[in-house]
Parts: sequence; structure tokens; C-alpha cells
Amino acid sequence: MTPVPLLHYLTVGAILFALGLIGFLARRNMILMFLSAEMMLQGVGVNLVAFARFRGNLQGQAFTLFIVTVAACEAAIALALILILYRTKRSLDVSLWQELREPGQDPTVDEEPLPPEPKEVPSPTLTPSGVEPLQPKETSHV
Amino acid sequence: MFEPAVCLWLVPLLPLAASVLIAFLGPKILRQHSHWPCILAVAASCACSIVLFLAVRELPISESHGGETVAATTPSIESHITWFQAGAVDVKYGLHADGLTAIMLVTVTFIGTLIALFAAGYMHGDPGYPRFFAEVSLFIFSMTGLVLANNFLLLYAFWEGVGLCSYLLIGFWFTKPSAAAAARKAFLVTRLGDVGFLLGIFLLWHMNSPHSLDFAVVFNHPERYEHWLLAAACLLLFSGAVGKSAQFPLYVWLPDAMEGPTPVSALIHAATMVTAGVYLVARCTPLFALVQGVEVVVAIIGCFTALLAALIALTQNDLKRVLAYSTVSQLGYMFLGLGCGAIAGGVFHLFTHAFFKALLFLAAGSVMHAMGNIIDMRRFGGLRHALKITHATFLCGAAALAGVPLLSGFWSKDEILDAAFERYSGGHAYSIVYLVLFVTALATAGLTAFYTFRAYFMTFWGEERVPPEAGNHAHESPPIMTIPLIVLAIGAVAAGIIVEPFTHAFSSYLIGHTSGFGRAEPGTLNPVLMILSSLVAFGGIGVAWWMYVREPGTATRLANRFRGAYQLSLNKFHVDEIYEALLIPMAAVTGLCRAFDLYIVDGIVDLIGQVPRLVGALFRPVQNGLVQFYALAMILGLVVFLLALAR
Repeated sequence: MTPVPLLHYLTVGAILFALGLIGFLARRNMILMFLSAEMMLQGVGVNLVAFARFRGNLQGQAFTLFIVTVAACEAAIALALILILYRTKRSLDVSLWQELREPGQDPTVDEEPLPPEPKEVPSPTLTPSGVEPLQPKETSHV
Repeated sequence: MFEPAVCLWLVPLLPLAASVLIAFLGPKILRQHSHWPCILAVAASCACSIVLFLAVRELPISESHGGETVAATTPSIESHITWFQAGAVDVKYGLHADGLTAIMLVTVTFIGTLIALFAAGYMHGDPGYPRFFAEVSLFIFSMTGLVLANNFLLLYAFWEGVGLCSYLLIGFWFTKPSAAAAARKAFLVTRLGDVGFLLGIFLLWHMNSPHSLDFAVVFNHPERYEHWLLAAACLLLFSGAVGKSAQFPLYVWLPDAMEGPTPVSALIHAATMVTAGVYLVARCTPLFALVQGVEVVVAIIGCFTALLAALIALTQNDLKRVLAYSTVSQLGYMFLGLGCGAIAGGVFHLFTHAFFKALLFLAAGSVMHAMGNIIDMRRFGGLRHALKITHATFLCGAAALAGVPLLSGFWSKDEILDAAFERYSGGHAYSIVYLVLFVTALATAGLTAFYTFRAYFMTFWGEERVPPEAGNHAHESPPIMTIPLIVLAIGAVAAGIIVEPFTHAFSSYLIGHTSGFGRAEPGTLNPVLMILSSLVAFGGIGVAWWMYVREPGTATRLANRFRGAYQLSLNKFHVDEIYEALLIPMAAVTGLCRAFDLYIVDGIVDLIGQVPRLVGALFRPVQNGLVQFYALAMILGLVVFLLALAR
């Protein structure tokens, strides 16, 4: 069985990183942004492991271990922060937090209307089960 | 330790170290013992100077090359470290000691030591005691550095250092408005001369084709310079000397410098400040000797200053002011000597003058100390019994200044008169001018004798009068003040006769060991001239005795008789007023300059100041607080960076 060449690993790493990048830029939900960032980290991790394997030493793996450890710590802190931010505004939208801009500037407001809320389609209901209501009795006697 | 090259550095650095030490430790720790570092450092510096003096004497004497100007071949003790290099320019902290420097150093540090000792007694109990000694040490550091410097740039730096220290010390009692004004005046007036000095240095720089300001290079074959450029450079250098050494028309600061404590006056007048100008001109002798016209200018200004100051000194009532004008006058003599080509004579007069002028000032300080800081001679008199030591030493100094035969002032003044007369009789191009100068100088010698002894008789003779400020009882100063007086008195009496008239040790040492001073010529004693000047001196003393002791009313009667002349002299020929009248219209010009500075220069500066603000306003919207925008900016930056790498 031929070994998987390095390029394949790197491609996977690059795809992971790019997906994370796009997600981080495109999303306003703080939890999703956080997850995207994690995805970028993992892309880098894959790269490092692949290189470690390719070069035949353990340096890359050691780095990856570090990344994973640090990512765990970072996750703990980030989630705690997100929780606090959510409690303050009752929302996960990151664009609500713009107070760190230069004084004298107008806040950026998303002027593009949100896509219309999908009509609430009432779920189909089943007739509740139970005692069968009384039906008019057949009166024909043939 | 006592290697000459080490001593070269120790001479200026010891006083500097003392100054720093006193400045930092004085106010809190040393307090009333602040004089010790100063006295010890200056005394050690004096010892090093003497070592240098002896070491220079061991060097071989320069050879004279026929009739031409001697090139810079005289060996001297040198040592340098590089200050900065810019291109081919190499400016060094270079110190050297040759004959002229060694003599100046010994004079400055020896007199400085005695004055510091005296000041320890005189300044006792002053709230600024540590500050005083820190500044005195700094003053002596600047002056020793000035005479040791071996290039014009370093010389100029120390020159300004001396100016700064004189400002600090004249304004020592800065809470007194008159002292603050006097300090400012001294600084500004000398500054005026310094501008010329600086321009002169630039010109010398320009004239040397491999640009250099080292004395050895500048004075090497000065005949290669263009004549008119050399004359201009010499005049500019001389203007610096005029400011520093209080010559007409920039002498007005020196009499006002009396506002400082008396030991400071002694220091300025005898050792550290006013001699700098004489030193500069003496140092530049190889240049001055080539331009006869400038030499005559030096001689004329010197002689005119000597006469003017002597005339003013005739009628002053303030003891220290009489002495101040006599310093101006004697400095005029020194420049007359230098202008007559008698370098040895001029420097010799500087040397003897340092002794007797320091002595006279310290004695005047001792009188002030006894009289409760009263210095007006009309308020006291007849002190010769109350202040025995002060009286005896003052008499020695006054006699030396007046030129009583065999005392130090007699020999040095005689040498200068002799030089002027020789220029006349030797068929010099300007011989008539030199004859006029000779006669004027001789007359000034008579005036000198008169005003010196007028001050002496008014202070120490007549009936004993003591002002109420002294508690109506005069007391002699403590030994720490009288011992320097006695030492200086011995110097004033004997220094002249020992070193010069019969052995010519002084002039042969000075000329032989300084490069570019030509060849030591055994001077001849001119008996006719000596008898003439003694007669003039005794005549002046006799008139003073007759007017102030024998017939005390004569002075007042004469003053009433010649009221106009008397008032003119008493008011110092209105020179200060004339300057003021000339300078007030200048105020309009300064107003114009101020407006130009305020609106045009400042406007441009403010405009430039606005540029970063505008640029900032342009980029401010980038900081919009949106997290995603920041992330985008980071990524764009990364992309640009990667593209730049890939290229």
C-alpha cells in the first residue's frame, strides 16, 4: 500500500483553514465564530502533524500537542466570555458590541433587511386519541 | 600618579569632581564643610600644575629657523581622546601643556586655592554656602580646561563654561535685583564678543584647507593664509577677547560684577575670567604677529581702555569699584603689551597682576567683613590700627599696582612701556601711533598710582571712623582669611623681581616652550624708562597723599572747581547711558523680530503640526469597532504580506 503523499494532508489542512476563515468572517453569531476559529486551528494542526511525519521527527507533533492544550484553555475562557456577553444583551450577535470604535463615529448598522421570517407553518396535528366521540346512530333499518 | 600625562587630566578633572561632589552632597550632608572638597581639589590641581610646569621645563627648547616664523615644532605635553568624528573631521578632547599653558595653570590654580581658603572664612554662615563652592570649583574647572585645550572648539566650549560660571557667581545672591541684573549684563555683554569669536573660529576653519581647528595645524605656517582673511580672523578673535577681558567698548559688565561676593570678584579679576581674553590673544600670537594693522588695533584699544578706566577710577567712592576699574585699566595694559608684540611682557603683567589684584580684592573683602558689608569709602576711614594685617597687605598690593620700584607691578608695567617705546624707536610702520600709546600709557601709570593710593588713604588713614553697621567697632578677620592675604602679599612684593628682571627666567620659559612665539631674546633693562616710570608712580602717590592726608579738603575743592569733569568721571563718562540710548531704538527692531517669530515662524510650525492631525482624521473611520472588520483587515494584511513574499 503506497503511503498517502504529503500534499494530500496539506490540502486537507488548507481546506479546513479556509472553511474556518470564511466562517469567521461571514458569521455574526459568536459561538459559530468561535467554532470557526477552532477549525482554523485544527487546519494548522493537521499541517504540523503532516510535516512531522514527512520529516520524520517529533517537533511538529509537539507543537500540535501544545496547540490542542492551548485551544482547550482558550475555549474555556472564550465560552465564559460569550456567556457573560449573552447575559448582558440577551443576544449572540457580535455586531451589537461596537463600543470600542473611535469617538465621534456613527455605529455601523446593518441596513440590508433581514430575509423575511419564514411563515410559521402549523405543524400537522393528529387527532388526539381517547374515547371516541359519540356518533349519530344509523337510524335506517333495512 | 604624577606622570605628566596623568596630571594633564587631573588638573581640570579634580575641580570638576569636587564641584559634582559638593553639588550632590553639599546641601544635605556636607553643609558647613562644603569648602573642603573645593579647597583640596584646587590645591591638588595646583600641585599637578606645578608638576606639569616642571615637566614642560624639561622639554627641549624650540630652534629658531633663521628669520622666518617658527613653525609648530616646539614639543609640548599632549593627550587626547576622540570627541566625535564626522567624515574627515576628527574633533578631540585634546589637552596640551606648553610654556604659556603651564604659566596660566600655575597662576590660576595657585590664586584659586588662596581665594577658596579666604572664601571659607568670608562666606561662613551664608545660606548658599555649598552652592558657592560648587560653582567656584566649576569655575576653576572651566578656566583650567580653557588654557589646556589644544583646539579651538574645545577652547570655545570652556570659554562658554567660564561665562556661565561667572553668570552664576555674579548672581550668587540672586534675590537681590541688582545682582540678578549684573549677572545678566555680564552674560549678555560677553556674549556679544563671543559671537565674533565664534565667527572667527568659523573663518579659521574655512581658511585651513584640510579643515582642522587644532592649534598645531592652524598655527603651522600662518603665512600661507590670505592676508585680508587672516586680518579678519584676528579681528574676530580679538572681539571675543574684548568681551571676555572687559576692553572698550564691552568693559561695562566688569564694574557691575561687583554685585557678587568679594571672593568671586577676586576670582574673576585675578585668575579665572578676564585673563581668558589675554590668554586667547597670546595663544594666537603666530597669527597676530603677521598682521601689523590688527596689532595696532589691539594696542590702541588696550591703551584707550587703560586710560578711560583710570579716569573713571579717579572719582569712584566704592572701594571695590575703584579696584574693578583698575582691573579694566590693567587689562588694557596687557593688551597694549600684546599689541606691541611683547608677549612675555603682556603675560608677565597678567601673572603679577593676578597676585596683587587678588590681594587687593581679598583685602577689600576683609575690610567689608569688618565694616558690616559697607564698601563706600566715605563711610569709613583710619582703619590702619583696627585692621593691622589687612592694612599691611593692602599697602603691599596697592604699591605693587601703583608701580613702586622693585615691586612686581613695576617690572611688568615697565616691560610693556619698554615694548611700546621700542616699537616707536625701532622704525615700525606705525611708529607715531606707538609713540602716542607710549605717552598715554605712561600718563595712565601716574593716574593708576593716584587712584590706588587715593583708595588706600581714604580707607586706612585719617581719623578712625566706623559705620554703625559694623557695630561701631572694627575687628580683624579670622586667620583663615588673613593667611591667604599674607601669602599673596609676599607674592605681590616678590614675584616680579624673582622671576624676571635680572634672570629673564619667565620670558625665556614662556617664549622657549611655546610654539610660534619666535625666539627668546634677552630683554634689556632701560634705566631711563625705569627712572621715568618710578617718578610718575611716586608723583601719583605723592599727589594722593597731599590731597587726602596732608590737606584733606583739597579733593572737595578741586571737585567743585572742575565740577563738569568731576561729574563726568563720577558718572563713568555716561557710557552706560549712551549704550542705553543707542539700544532703546533697537527695541523696535526686536519687536519686529518678535512679530515675525510669533506669526510667521510659529505659524509655519503650527501648520506642520496640523499635518499629522489631518492624516489621522483621514484614517480614523478604520477604527469602527466592528470585530469582523478587524478580522478582515488582518486577513487582507496577511494576504498582502504573503503576496509580497511570493513575489
